[in-house]
Amino acid sequence: MKTIKYILMVLVIAITVTSCEKPDNINPKAATSVPVGTLFSNAEVSLVNQINSMSVNYNTTRLLVQYWQETTYFSEARYDFSSRNIPDNYSTALYRNVIMDLKEAKTILNASEFTGGLATQRDNQVAIADILQVYAYQVAVDAFGDMPYTEALQGIADPSPAYDDAASIYTDLLARLTADIATLDASQGSYGSADFIYGGDVAKWKKFAASLKLRAGMRLADVNPTAAQAAVESAYSAGVFANEDESGILYYSGVSPHVNTIYSGFFVDGRKDYIPTNTLIDYMKSLDDPRLPLYFNTVDGDYVGAEAGADAAATYTNYSHFADRFFQPDFEAILIDYVETEFLLAEAAQRGWNVGGAAEDYFNNAVTQSILYWEGTQADADTYLAAHPYDAANWKESLGMQKWLALYNRSVEAWAEWRRLDYPVLNVPTGMVYGDIPSRMPYPFNEVKNNESNYNAASAAIGGDDMRTNLFWDIYDPI
Amino acid sequence: MRKFILMLALFAFVGLQGVFAQTSVTGTVTSSDDGGTLPGVSVVVEGTSLGTTTDMDGKFSLSVPADATALVFSFVGMETQTVAFTGQTVVNVVMNASALDLDEFVVTALGISREKKSLGYAVQTLGEEALGEVRASNPVASLSGKASGVKITQPNTMGGSANIVIRGNASITQNNQALFVIDGVPISNVNTSSNKDGWGGYDYGNAASDINPDDIASVSVLKGAAATALYGSRAANGVIEITTKRGTKKDGIGVTINSGVTFNSADHSSMPKWQDKYGEGYGAFYDDPTGYFFYEDMNGDGTPDLVAPTSEDASWGAAFDPNLMVIQWDALDPNKPNYAQATPWVYPENDYHYFFQTGVRYTNNITFEGGDEKGTFRLSYTNNDETGILPNSSIEKHVINFSGSRNLSDKLTVDANITYTNQNATGRYGTGYDGGNVMQSFGQWIGVQVDFQKLEELYLREDGSQLSWNASYVDDLHPIYFDNPYWVRYKNYNDDHRNRIFGYSALNYKLNDWISAKAKVSIDSYTEVQNERIAVGSVDQSKFSSYTRQSQELNYDFMLNFNKNFDNISVTGLVGTNVRRNTVESVYGSTVGGLVVPDLWAISNSVSPVYVSEALRKWGTNSIFANVSFGYNDFVFVDLTDRYDVSSTLPEGDNGFNYYSASTSVLLSELDLFKDMPVLSFLKLRANYAEVGNDAPVYSLYSTYAKGTNWGSNALFSVSSTMLNPNLKPERTKSFEVGLEANFFDNRVRADVAYYNNRSIDQLMPVTVSPLSGYSSIWMNSGEIENKGVELSLTANVMKTDNFNWDINVNWYKNSNEVVRLYQAESGEEVKNIMIMSAWDVSINAVVGEPYGVIRGIDYVYHDNGEPMVNANGYYMMGDDPAANIGSIQPDWNAGLSSRMSYKGFSLNILLDGQKGGDIYSVNTKYGQATGVYEETAGNNVLGNPTRDNIVSLTDGEYSQHFSGGIPLSDAAPNSGGIILPGVKEDGTPNDILVSAGRWGRAFYYRNSPTARYVFDASYIKFRELSFGYTLNKNLVAKTPFNNITFSVIGRNLAILFKNTDHFDPEMSLGSGNAQGIETGAYPTTRSIGFNLKLGI
Repeated sequence: MKTIKYILMVLVIAITVTSCEKPDNINPKAATSVPVGTLFSNAEVSLVNQINSMSVNYNTTRLLVQYWQETTYFSEARYDFSSRNIPDNYSTALYRNVIMDLKEAKTILNASEFTGGLATQRDNQVAIADILQVYAYQVAVDAFGDMPYTEALQGIADPSPAYDDAASIYTDLLARLTADIATLDASQGSYGSADFIYGGDVAKWKKFAASLKLRAGMRLADVNPTAAQAAVESAYSAGVFANEDESGILYYSGVSPHVNTIYSGFFVDGRKDYIPTNTLIDYMKSLDDPRLPLYFNTVDGDYVGAEAGADAAATYTNYSHFADRFFQPDFEAILIDYVETEFLLAEAAQRGWNVGGAAEDYFNNAVTQSILYWEGTQADADTYLAAHPYDAANWKESLGMQKWLALYNRSVEAWAEWRRLDYPVLNVPTGMVYGDIPSRMPYPFNEVKNNESNYNAASAAIGGDDMRTNLFWDIYDPI
Repeated sequence: MRKFILMLALFAFVGLQGVFAQTSVTGTVTSSDDGGTLPGVSVVVEGTSLGTTTDMDGKFSLSVPADATALVFSFVGMETQTVAFTGQTVVNVVMNASALDLDEFVVTALGISREKKSLGYAVQTLGEEALGEVRASNPVASLSGKASGVKITQPNTMGGSANIVIRGNASITQNNQALFVIDGVPISNVNTSSNKDGWGGYDYGNAASDINPDDIASVSVLKGAAATALYGSRAANGVIEITTKRGTKKDGIGVTINSGVTFNSADHSSMPKWQDKYGEGYGAFYDDPTGYFFYEDMNGDGTPDLVAPTSEDASWGAAFDPNLMVIQWDALDPNKPNYAQATPWVYPENDYHYFFQTGVRYTNNITFEGGDEKGTFRLSYTNNDETGILPNSSIEKHVINFSGSRNLSDKLTVDANITYTNQNATGRYGTGYDGGNVMQSFGQWIGVQVDFQKLEELYLREDGSQLSWNASYVDDLHPIYFDNPYWVRYKNYNDDHRNRIFGYSALNYKLNDWISAKAKVSIDSYTEVQNERIAVGSVDQSKFSSYTRQSQELNYDFMLNFNKNFDNISVTGLVGTNVRRNTVESVYGSTVGGLVVPDLWAISNSVSPVYVSEALRKWGTNSIFANVSFGYNDFVFVDLTDRYDVSSTLPEGDNGFNYYSASTSVLLSELDLFKDMPVLSFLKLRANYAEVGNDAPVYSLYSTYAKGTNWGSNALFSVSSTMLNPNLKPERTKSFEVGLEANFFDNRVRADVAYYNNRSIDQLMPVTVSPLSGYSSIWMNSGEIENKGVELSLTANVMKTDNFNWDINVNWYKNSNEVVRLYQAESGEEVKNIMIMSAWDVSINAVVGEPYGVIRGIDYVYHDNGEPMVNANGYYMMGDDPAANIGSIQPDWNAGLSSRMSYKGFSLNILLDGQKGGDIYSVNTKYGQATGVYEETAGNNVLGNPTRDNIVSLTDGEYSQHFSGGIPLSDAAPNSGGIILPGVKEDGTPNDILVSAGRWGRAFYYRNSPTARYVFDASYIKFRELSFGYTLNKNLVAKTPFNNITFSVIGRNLAILFKNTDHFDPEMSLGSGNAQGIETGAYPTTRSIGFNLKLGI
């Protein structure tokens, strides 16, 4: 029958079509597994980018320690964190882009079943990832105070993590560094070329870890001298940086987007938003600091800085600009270096701790190394130190002022040490008092919306989510 | 297994062939209008529910019982005719158009024509005139105000996307757009624009704008889940079902030419209002003695000259003064004769309004149609050529549509409809907070003294670099923040192209007089290419990017339709199967680190290694569905549907879901009780309940890594910021609706009222979480949202005489929604808020217990008397809560009012539409006030002095411009400047404190203002459409070669009759999507006035 023929024909079509292969459900253009080195690379670059960033959306610490002032839009230099959600971007960059990727790398590594040399290499890799995690956590805690730590980075298992006590986090970070130093075994390699700082050199990572432990330990010097001394002395004996070549420095590839932040801001984005402050320029001028021409150019034959935190716009052309070196796309960024460890050892010696040398010697070497780093001469350094010798009676001032000068372009650490050492004495922006200069960053604003009860508990625990609240290690108030 | 059951079902129906045939009546139905045949006409034996509909050729064949007395012919838009039956075997009928159609048949899901009275759900039908008359370039936008419950938000950009949401947002984060279906073919309405978050990009329009208004015969709006259940999950947001025109049977070939020209211009009432008293600068911060100007010796005469502070993108500068001579931006090019020549410091002859031009759109359509005993065809070609209101903007569109049908035998018909569109656009408008959007500058950041004619003349320098009003400094002409807007339009333009084919081919087979089978394959396939440019010498790093996207959807349908009457009971229904396969493949490539060779627009022209990203997405569903309707005695109708989908996007084993609906319609007017009421001519009660499911977007289950840009030869990978979830399950929507249709006075007044309640649970969405959890968002089944609302439509035939007819139609609807719950965190804590979008200090949120789209930010602090309070310095106090509720994007109600009048050959149609309530946050106003560009920043204060003048105290004398405090009015000298902000002091008395308002950072500064200061009421009434037409009477036409001549004048968006926003159109949208409620860099409303000539041969 004709009818039946048609029906059958149609049914055949229908069945053919219905049995079409059903698409599977995994994105064919995205990786479901990657080499751990690629995660480590991303975390390393992200960490350096965040520490070094000068974007008003990500990192305004250069403004907080009055290295720089803004030209036309000056609200961030007047401590407006909210308009651009700076704390959200600051914390997300550290947690999401650094610590999370390192956690993922560790998870993959820990799941491997290597033996012998491969197992040693794996252990090195895990330890190095851990060291960078410690670095990032310390930066986060130094900015905010209590932060999610034990409950952080759990994804769907805990989308609203509770905050941990900052002092306890510090204790754990120091313990992790101790363990990592013990683990690292230079007989085997680590990440190789995926490590853009040391090329996978395990011996250097060991020094990096010890230097970081020195920094973290010293942060506790006022609040917990016993723990601080123990950490500093053990870091020293483990072996901190012995010369500038061992420093933790990333040289940008210079190929977009892996370029230095100042190049990116001034050339790629074509903006002229920043000029040096008179806080810095006037102080360097008063010291006749040999680094002044290495940091800045003159305007009409003089070095001119702008009023920090001014309630008025400033014309870019009327002020000194950054020296040419800062505008190079491959200009480096420093995570931690020899100059800094020498300053830390100077302070340790001054406090009477056993670090194998005298405070003044360490101090002199720190200042000299800083001048040399910026391509000044030994003679410059000698003259400078002769004019401005170490003052053991006012050691906090000596260390604080010189460290501030040396940490130029490393404002995250400079802001922490300014809070701890209470030097230099910064200028008070118009209409404010000294205490208004931020002692911490407000918590990420979206935590109120995304993690409300934990945010409330953390705010109460630290004494209020206010930029004037001191961190736990910052027990002295300046002035 | 399911396939097997389906086969059994099919055979079961085949086996049911019965022999009920009696006298066989055949005939043809034609239209008195043009003599063409009418397909889809309902033919019913009077007093029974026996009936059929005419086929593509207007033919029918019906078995009529011997005792039948009459046949009733009815069709949408035609007067119903009753023909006495006396045993004749051929009944040919000519139908007349009805003045007030009764919509007796409407197109429902899957393109099935149904008797409206039998439907238990709301369907609103719009005729050809709804879209075809005004022929808007985006037909989606022109649905506005024409159907209740359908909220359209218009794009103000050329070719931009219209947001279309029916009965409220049912999904918290996913798609809420209605599904577009053309002749039963679902077509993609994806908005692939890059602009959805308000941070720049272009609005490339929604794909449904490819529909050609000239080809549309009618539009059915299917609103509730019961109406759309047969389409399955993808129709959860309602369906716009479009039926295209078909050829008709006639002698020879009918040709229609429809030609129009439309002029588009900016509606100036929807644009930012500038002050005209002060020029560029941020205040007295610069170098000359007044502090308002740069001070450099430009002409070499040894004394410094006044130079405009060109690097400053604000207007807190020196007061205009025709005697003040200043070297301005246009005199900074050393290659020009006017270099270093000073000109008067005045408001320009040509301000930014000069920038907007009159765009012209030509729309030409030619249609051929015809048909004979065996089949019909229609071929239409439309050319649409449009220029926008911005320089260098145009869209060119070609649409070819062919439809045809042919009877291969008495029982077998083939049928096809195919549309090809080709669209090429150049210079779409940049959007959002981005330099590519010229409105960012015009609405927010500029020196108002800039003359736009000079910008146009001087934008390109001899060496190919640009001259902008915003030069970095007198000797550094590279623009610092803003490109010259002409440079933006002519150098940094984009272009895009879309080629698309959609349509179907179908086979209909009439098994017997009550069962027919249909097999159909439909396709929607398109390729689009989007190229974006930033020229060398722009503020931003130069760049070229190209995005190519191919989208394809295939649907295979097989259906059995049946239609059977038993005494008083009629049964119609269908069973069917659908297989859908979607593929989207795209490649995006861009230069990195800038372009090597200027103006060479190729990705390979990249300084650094190029960036490429690809996507390939494939997904699909397999479905079976069935629908059965019972009618009892033309009094009660019951309709049941069921559909089962298996989706590829959900976890294996948990990827099937069922949905169903039940609806009923009761014709109360058939009851004796109502039959005695002469006023009431028709009364119907309808009710329905439906539960539908929805699947996840493709690739929401298994996490992958995000790729960064290589460092040399090293790859960088990162954990994706969105955590996927392999445990997702289908989301569900439960929907209930009741409605009443009542006609009065011989059907001259018709009312339709509906109430609905939709509850969507287990919503699939990426939930925004604390990034400290390692992810920015996590996919979850979460959340419940309830939409309930009332829809009312009222049509009245106000007057009807032989020559004159006047109809008025009102549509009114109100949707209230509430986010019932979001999700429970592992800790047991209920999450109360999900952020949908944020910009600076404001966010759009889903908050538990609140309507969808709560605007959150810092509020004023209010006194008990309800007024905002100022502090002791006279500035607004700011609430402690950084996320206070300060508004909602949900309107109280929307309404449309239309009037259609005709007198002899003349017709006059008017449409107004409006919205009451709803709020919008204005980024423009925030910055436009802060930069001193807006009108209100340059008025006089209560003392009659300019607000920008320095504050003068009786006790302390004159303060400098930089004084940041305030003084009480009682202490103000008669010549004091400053402004008193509206509000009260902490004691509740009216604010009387003068604060400085003479520079950036003072009374008009956003940091001194709560977010709530920039939230505005989005109510409006718009004069949306007007058309005035004249059809030559037949006697006159007879003297021409034509058989029909119609001339019309048409207008769209003619005026905003009411609004509460000073500087922008409150209907402004960033484009289609959920990110509504934030205005940033809004374009003016485009007003169109056009002329149209339609010729029939």
